[in-house]
Amino acid sequence: MIEKIKETVKKLFKENKIDIFIGYSEGTLPLRSTPCFITRSEDIEKLVWNSYCSNNLAVYLPRFFVSQRGAKDAKLPRIGILAKGCDGRSIVGLIKEHQIPRENIYIIGIHCGGMINTKKIKKVDIVAAEEKNDKVLVEDEDKKKVELKKEELLADMCKTCQYTAPAVYDILLGKEKQKTKKEDREAFIKEFEKKPLEERWEYFQEQISKCIRCNACRQACPNCYCKECFAEQAKPRWIGPTNDISDVMFYQIGRIFHQAGRCVDCGACVRACPMGVDLRVFTYKLIKDVKEFFEYEAGVSLEEAPPLATFKQDDKQEFITEP
Amino acid sequence: MHKRVLVVGGGIAGIQAALDLAEMKIEVYLIEKGPSIGGRMTQLDKTFPTNDCAMCILSPKLVEAGSHPYIKIITNAELESITGQAPNFEATIIKKPRYINEEKCTGCGICVTKCPVKIADEYNKGLSKTKCIHIPFPQAVPAIPIIDKEYCAYLKRGKCRKCEESCEMKAIDFSQKEEVIKVNAGSVILALGSEEFDATLKDEYGYKTFPNVMTSIEFERILSASGPTQGHILRPSDGKEPKSIAFIQCVGSRDMQLGNEYCSAICCMQAVKDVILIQEHLPGVETSVFYMDMRAYGKDFDKFVDRAKDYYKARFVHSRISSIEVNMDTEDLIVCYATDDGTIKKEKFGLVVLSVGLLSTGGIKETAGKLNIELNECGFSKSSTFMPISTSRAGIFTAGTFSGPKDIPETVMEASGSAACASSLLTEFPVKEIKEELPAEINIEGQPPRIGVFVCRCGINIAATVDVPRVVEYSSTLKGVVHSQEFMFSCSQDSQKVITKMIKEKNLNRVVVAACTPRTHEPLFQKTLQASGLNPYLFEFANIREQCSWVHQEAKDSATKKACDLLRMAISKVKLFSPLSKSTITINKKALVIGGGIAGMTASLDLAAQGFGVYLVEKEEELGGNFRHVRYALDGGKTEDFLNSLIDKIRSNKNIDLYTNTEIKEINGYVGNFKTRLAAGGKKPSESTVEHGVIIVATGAEEYEPTEYLYGKDDRVVTQRQLEEWLWEKESKGKGTGPLPDADPRTLKNMVMIQCVGSRDEERPYCSRVCCSKAIKNAIKLKELNPRLNIYVLYRDIRSYGVRELYYKKAREMGIIFIRYEEEAKPEAKNSKGRLNIKVKDLILDRDLLIDIDLLVLSSGIIADKKNKSLSQMLKVPLNDDGFFLEAHVKLRPVDFATDGIFVCGLAHYPKDVSEAITQAKAAAARAMTILTKDSFQTEGKVSEIRKERCSGCGLCVEICPYKAIDLDEVEKVAVINEALCKGCGACVSSCRANAIDLKGFKDEQILAALEVV
Amino acid sequence: MKNDNNWEPKIVTFLCNWCSYAGADLAGVSRLQYPPNIRVIRVPCSGRVNPFYIIKVLQNGIDGVLVSGCHPGDCHYISGNLVARRKFALLKSFLEYIGIEPGRVQFSWVSAAEGGRFVDIIEKVTSEIKKLGPSKKLSKWQKEAEYIKEILK
Repeated sequence: MIEKIKETVKKLFKENKIDIFIGYSEGTLPLRSTPCFITRSEDIEKLVWNSYCSNNLAVYLPRFFVSQRGAKDAKLPRIGILAKGCDGRSIVGLIKEHQIPRENIYIIGIHCGGMINTKKIKKVDIVAAEEKNDKVLVEDEDKKKVELKKEELLADMCKTCQYTAPAVYDILLGKEKQKTKKEDREAFIKEFEKKPLEERWEYFQEQISKCIRCNACRQACPNCYCKECFAEQAKPRWIGPTNDISDVMFYQIGRIFHQAGRCVDCGACVRACPMGVDLRVFTYKLIKDVKEFFEYEAGVSLEEAPPLATFKQDDKQEFITEP
Repeated sequence: MHKRVLVVGGGIAGIQAALDLAEMKIEVYLIEKGPSIGGRMTQLDKTFPTNDCAMCILSPKLVEAGSHPYIKIITNAELESITGQAPNFEATIIKKPRYINEEKCTGCGICVTKCPVKIADEYNKGLSKTKCIHIPFPQAVPAIPIIDKEYCAYLKRGKCRKCEESCEMKAIDFSQKEEVIKVNAGSVILALGSEEFDATLKDEYGYKTFPNVMTSIEFERILSASGPTQGHILRPSDGKEPKSIAFIQCVGSRDMQLGNEYCSAICCMQAVKDVILIQEHLPGVETSVFYMDMRAYGKDFDKFVDRAKDYYKARFVHSRISSIEVNMDTEDLIVCYATDDGTIKKEKFGLVVLSVGLLSTGGIKETAGKLNIELNECGFSKSSTFMPISTSRAGIFTAGTFSGPKDIPETVMEASGSAACASSLLTEFPVKEIKEELPAEINIEGQPPRIGVFVCRCGINIAATVDVPRVVEYSSTLKGVVHSQEFMFSCSQDSQKVITKMIKEKNLNRVVVAACTPRTHEPLFQKTLQASGLNPYLFEFANIREQCSWVHQEAKDSATKKACDLLRMAISKVKLFSPLSKSTITINKKALVIGGGIAGMTASLDLAAQGFGVYLVEKEEELGGNFRHVRYALDGGKTEDFLNSLIDKIRSNKNIDLYTNTEIKEINGYVGNFKTRLAAGGKKPSESTVEHGVIIVATGAEEYEPTEYLYGKDDRVVTQRQLEEWLWEKESKGKGTGPLPDADPRTLKNMVMIQCVGSRDEERPYCSRVCCSKAIKNAIKLKELNPRLNIYVLYRDIRSYGVRELYYKKAREMGIIFIRYEEEAKPEAKNSKGRLNIKVKDLILDRDLLIDIDLLVLSSGIIADKKNKSLSQMLKVPLNDDGFFLEAHVKLRPVDFATDGIFVCGLAHYPKDVSEAITQAKAAAARAMTILTKDSFQTEGKVSEIRKERCSGCGLCVEICPYKAIDLDEVEKVAVINEALCKGCGACVSSCRANAIDLKGFKDEQILAALEVV
Repeated sequence: MKNDNNWEPKIVTFLCNWCSYAGADLAGVSRLQYPPNIRVIRVPCSGRVNPFYIIKVLQNGIDGVLVSGCHPGDCHYISGNLVARRKFALLKSFLEYIGIEPGRVQFSWVSAAEGGRFVDIIEKVTSEIKKLGPSKKLSKWQKEAEYIKEILK
């Protein structure tokens, strides 16, 4: 697979179709791949494709265009990007929100079999790792090798991924992967919904109290491209800068609510969080509601209007208070 | 004399006409016989087919008319005579005593509470009681009480005067006498309205005999949340909820015995609306509508009927009512009716609603008589197809039901159209300039807030519940407040003087008034600020009457606390207010009219007549559009002469630049400043760009080309349009072309017309409106030419609404046979061995009929122009599901789009006949002139503003804005607000994740400041 | 405090200028009586109400919030209430999901002619919030209140 990717990227550079390519290269630690930006064809060899290419690469795209703003006839960079299903959906969102021009993005879509959550390997101190088919071989300090099933290590969102490949791409590589059923995807939300109100509140409080407002979640999220986040604004001042739990709650509710109809469940925020806040149980709730109320899924169509930009006369309104 | 129009009648027609004229800077005297303007619409609960709340949409218009500097409203007054000629009329008006000094009265309503005499409430059709001194309804304009002299204890018996004692303003004046007012006017609009049929005349229905039989207008009051039962449907006999409700249609309409032969045009839809509303009030109640023809001929009406049938399970019974009987024990009603096949049935109902028609009654006829206005055989003002808004007297025009029954949007169109007509006669008169001299605005920049607080007692309205001195004292302790005081009536002239004095004395730079509701009184105080040199937006209202003292009368302590809270919130908010200015947008005084059919030409001529330049763009070589194929008018008017005269006028008018064979390529800009690229085709294709201030869309529509009934396969099958062309050619040239060159109308023996071809089906679920009248017109024409010809019209409902009904009657009398068919059993056309025949099920005989015919005429419907889509995208205005242009509001803004400066008329809006197209075109011209008559206009003060440094240009606001007031700057990647189009709703503001937009006057920080101190 | 019968909640009510505010005015004109707990903030349109206001209300320790606009189809600004309806549907569902009592945050449609309906809704909302007791969740003052309680012990 990696050879196919390299081949495609090579061709793109050769035909002068892109100025930059964004993909993954080997990380400094085992079980880590890191985003890499290639501007010369000789660097293409650095590219890797494995089960640790977790990062959502779409997050980097807007940055290439921000500086060009305001300049008339500015020459905009042409960017090639490797896109898993989630990256691809984020890219669609960014295009729809006018953050990146479609014509300047060359999307190499790839069928993704899911990424590993390294936190799930708890037993050993890993010094090396190797991926073979659906198994991962890890080696600890004592050169002891352990074989782990990839399936058991998959990140939660990958386990129940519905869009393993992007909906919008210029070329699509790899073989189609199996998708999970809707019931399975939403099971953890439904389970949470069933809990008593106070238990839900306790959990929310417990999770949010871990947050130190380091903003790593915001930094990792492709959708968080605001020039100035509401959390830092002074006029109006929505929240104080403190770690007062009420302010933290406002921050998290606000940030999550801003993802309504936009979040693609890529898991970037969850991975980025140093405190292990269970954000997904909250972000996915909005994904579920948006789907249920407005029959909309983020990042799967360039044409469909975002759910909060439109309405239907007969939208759901059971929540309206009647006398 | 300056430009002035007299408008008689303060219903929605008169109000709309007055507002349009006033916006053209023409002074209007609006005469209303009742104590408040508003007319019948104030009594309606909801309006079809959108079920909009009638009062919600009307009340802003009442307030606007009541406060417009160019409108003088004279209520309780009747027109006595009009002498002179256009444009020099003199009207004599008699104003009856109200017994209230309108200048002094503040509308506080305390007198009403003191009055001991209870009388029947006219507003609620006598279904509830009100006081002898009363304000007609809560939203009345003017909001001033009236004393009913017939019942007043003092005026009748010389004892009482309780109201006078209670009035702090000394506004009660029992000495008032009838007053004669003379008004000079250049033209007159009669919007006299109509009245409901007196249902007691149909004694077989038992109205006023059986308590549970009521009229449709009474039922409106029952449905209304502000009505006698607060919207609960209860039977008058026992106050219980009925289990079944019947609607009897055509009560007093289409009635030969009573002589009301016309159709009242609105009752079908009113009943359909009611059966839907009933399900919202009393789910599960069985509703039945007994009707003759379901006349759902307007835009989206048929879909509304379908919804009533399918979703709300209303039953529609095609029948004739013989009588209504009563069960004496239960007061239930037994409706006796004859079905299609003649069977007599009896059914029991808990409540019966009589859909009473509209008619011109004695009072209206008397006024018309005094003014020398000719009436038609139905008692309505006489008009013609090509001059639908004119009366028999030059310079006097009509609007609304005075010229025949019609619904609200048609009334509004006529009102705007009459404004166009009335204003056209005033070109020689100067404009009355109303300009207020305002002092220079005080610069408050950098000043700390110095707030003045004025708390109103409103007599006892507030003070009896809220401890006003305590509120005043409390407010003085708040930071930023430098002056607090109370007023007996803060709205009185004296109080305004005090506010002005305090602003000067104490250098106030913010003012808070705690009194009644800002919805009615904010403008008054804003004016006072302005007159004192303060920007009017440095003002905030605390509503401590409607939303405090009046609703917490039993909780005086809590009410006082609440008043303090509301005041504290207002003060916290007002501190953050800053002066707002309105920007001025200059207006290009030219119009672009798209489409050179009857509508486009009429609108162009109306605009040109008043000196405005017009670019008239027609895609074809010839002017005339669909009207070129209309050869006869229903009333016998000569269509060809009319068309030719219009074309001549267009071609010779210096103000009109005509572009034929031209298409629109691109439209840019906004109200006052549009730029349009035109492309001329033909031999020498060329492009040009025109600049203009408004756009009128009059692009017409197309005829449906049938695929059914052997059309195109058999030459003997033609459309109504082809038949009309053929008849005309035969008649005028002696020969025919088209599918039937050799046939002769005089030798035809049998023919069939089939209605609803391509209309009211699944693909096109709307009525094409004109086909019934067209079929009747052509059938009459043929029958006159060839009395022996057998004509069968196969129809689903004959929709000869309004006075068109008379022609339906005439057709039947001439022997034209009408056979009803149902949608599920459409007629079948067959060519059997060269003979054309039609099979149709006769519902009366309950068997199939086979008719051997020489000619089959299909009444094919009207379909939207396919190019509407691309034009709508260029204009950024919407289409409805059927592809017709969708107006801003189907009831009250029938020719406007939500986007300012763009108007619609003619078939582009919806199918309609020639006279309706002319009316709508005139309306569009009038609406356009409300913009073009001004050199510039001011934007709203409270508009959105962008903080560029926060905007990432995601475009969400662009999509959300209903007025297309936001664009994305593609280079800067930021949103840009067009203040000329922004209406200040704030939907963009609350949608912006980055808070890059704020709404002036309702800023986030201001609202948060209020929330901070709740 | 929850059991204190004298406790009265404060409820912020955002009313759109054209329908619900007018409906509230009509309730007044008709002298219909309702509990004095609401504090009205007039907004041009229910579409003006930022979902963050709702969170802010709760953060400020106010016991409940009601947003009321024109019935669907009646909006003075054509579609402001319909755009708002989508946001509120999501917000309400989300707040309940994280454990905020459903009764604290409510939305309604009241037309300019529905003074009676306005009163019915205010009565319903007030009694529901009264039953819930003072709002603590999300409240900025929560900690301080607990601290003060602690000291008073």
